[in-house]
Amino acid sequence: MIELVSSVVPVGGGFTPLVVDFPFERNYVESIIYVSLYVSLTAVLLGTLVSLPIAILVGFSQFPGKGFVVALINTGMGFPSVVVGLVVLFAVSNQGPLGTFDLVFTTEAMIMSQFVLATPVITGVSLAAVTSVEDGVRDAAYAMGGTRLDVALVTIKEARFGIATGILAGLGRAISEVGSVLIVGGNIVSADGTSVTRTLTTAIQLEARQGRFELAMILGAILVTLVLLINGIVLRLGGGRV
Amino acid sequence: MMRQRQQRQERAWGSSEGLALRNISHGFDGTDVLDDVSLAVEQGETVAIIGPSGTGKTTLLRVLALFHRPDGGTVEVEGTDVWTRSERERLEVRRRIGMVFQEANLFDATVRRNVSYGRHIRRGWRDRLTHWLSRIGGEDTGEGVAEALDVVGLAEAETRSATSLSGGEAKRVAFARALAYDPDFLLLDEPTSDLDPRNTAVIEDAIETARARGLGVAIATHDMHQAERVADRVAVVLEGRLIEFGPAERVFTNPDDPRARKFIDGELVYGTRTGDRRDPSDLQE
Repeated sequence: MIELVSSVVPVGGGFTPLVVDFPFERNYVESIIYVSLYVSLTAVLLGTLVSLPIAILVGFSQFPGKGFVVALINTGMGFPSVVVGLVVLFAVSNQGPLGTFDLVFTTEAMIMSQFVLATPVITGVSLAAVTSVEDGVRDAAYAMGGTRLDVALVTIKEARFGIATGILAGLGRAISEVGSVLIVGGNIVSADGTSVTRTLTTAIQLEARQGRFELAMILGAILVTLVLLINGIVLRLGGGRV
Repeated sequence: MMRQRQQRQERAWGSSEGLALRNISHGFDGTDVLDDVSLAVEQGETVAIIGPSGTGKTTLLRVLALFHRPDGGTVEVEGTDVWTRSERERLEVRRRIGMVFQEANLFDATVRRNVSYGRHIRRGWRDRLTHWLSRIGGEDTGEGVAEALDVVGLAEAETRSATSLSGGEAKRVAFARALAYDPDFLLLDEPTSDLDPRNTAVIEDAIETARARGLGVAIATHDMHQAERVADRVAVVLEGRLIEFGPAERVFTNPDDPRARKFIDGELVYGTRTGDRRDPSDLQE
């Protein structure tokens, strides 16, 4: 059933090429990488759009209950992913508030669950980064005639490496997550062997459960390589200071 | 530059009384820091605010820079109470004031970006976008940057990272940053504390240049020799009260208040908040 894909890697100009058997259909691997990246990157992008204004607002302002809000964000950073999956599954099920949208076992539901998991992480780390920007820097922007928005932008810029770290942490939380995407996504592969809601992590879980540890390890290596690649890109953009 | 400043002044609120505090009282968390302080900074003069550490000099400058709305009294620019104006009008006033803090407080960016920031935020959002695009295209001229850096002797440092500067250089860049957007008033909070004599001399020359350009300069310092070198008028502040305000020569040779005399002579001075209280208007000269 599984068609072997062979990669030919010439080694050192020798006569015998090194042939590595890759025990998956190419479409299958490509599609689960695509689903993994699509779901995680979309969730992190949406999470960042929500997190940054919250971090700035909470970091900049004093209001009653601020401590409670910060505690809530910090608690969210350690939310059990299975619980998040259950809550999202309930929300998108027929009985849930989003039941009419028919989102059960879709990538959209997976994005929702990863959004819930990644957003507190991005918010918490960004909040720490924003509040660690020295008052003097904000004072300087204000003294030079900056509006509140100008001062906020300066603060974001000063905290950019910390914020980038928060986004990376959120991505790490999202892309390495198994429990909730398994519950809301269902780990589905279509009849032609391409992934519908199967991600690298759920595929690894499946292969390991079926005793195919070698295959699970190869998928694990792909996942780690992807995360390293994304980290490397962000590190490069940050001039090595993230 | 001088003509632009004059036009701005004429456009503004009438008379030319400069930047003034009238009977200002201000405190934090129930503690009075400033008590009934009145002083004015005219354009083209340097006012030194001297007094022992912790006496309220920094708070006084921050009230002048509109960081704090005073608990009592008025902050006036050309005779108009700034805090009765709209936020938009206050922003216009703030943009006529430059401030250099005790710490350099530079942004984590190049010297050019630091110095051009004041001009940058005075642009509309469309202009900012256009400027940003031209910068990406390598056409950043850094308008006004070279001139401001030249005043503090750092013309060659434009492309350096702010994090690579020494303490003295960072202070000089902070000074250039405040000069670059051509303010009418310059507030300096201990601008030469922790600086070596060479950097101190550069800053003092820059203060003189700013004054010669017509800026009103207020400098808070506990260095009496510096105050004597740079100031036209001197204000002596003790425990949040203005105890002496007048021409530098008179204050240093023949001050009215015996506590000011003691402070200038380098003796320990203790304020008496309950002691003899002078009418601040009597102190104006």
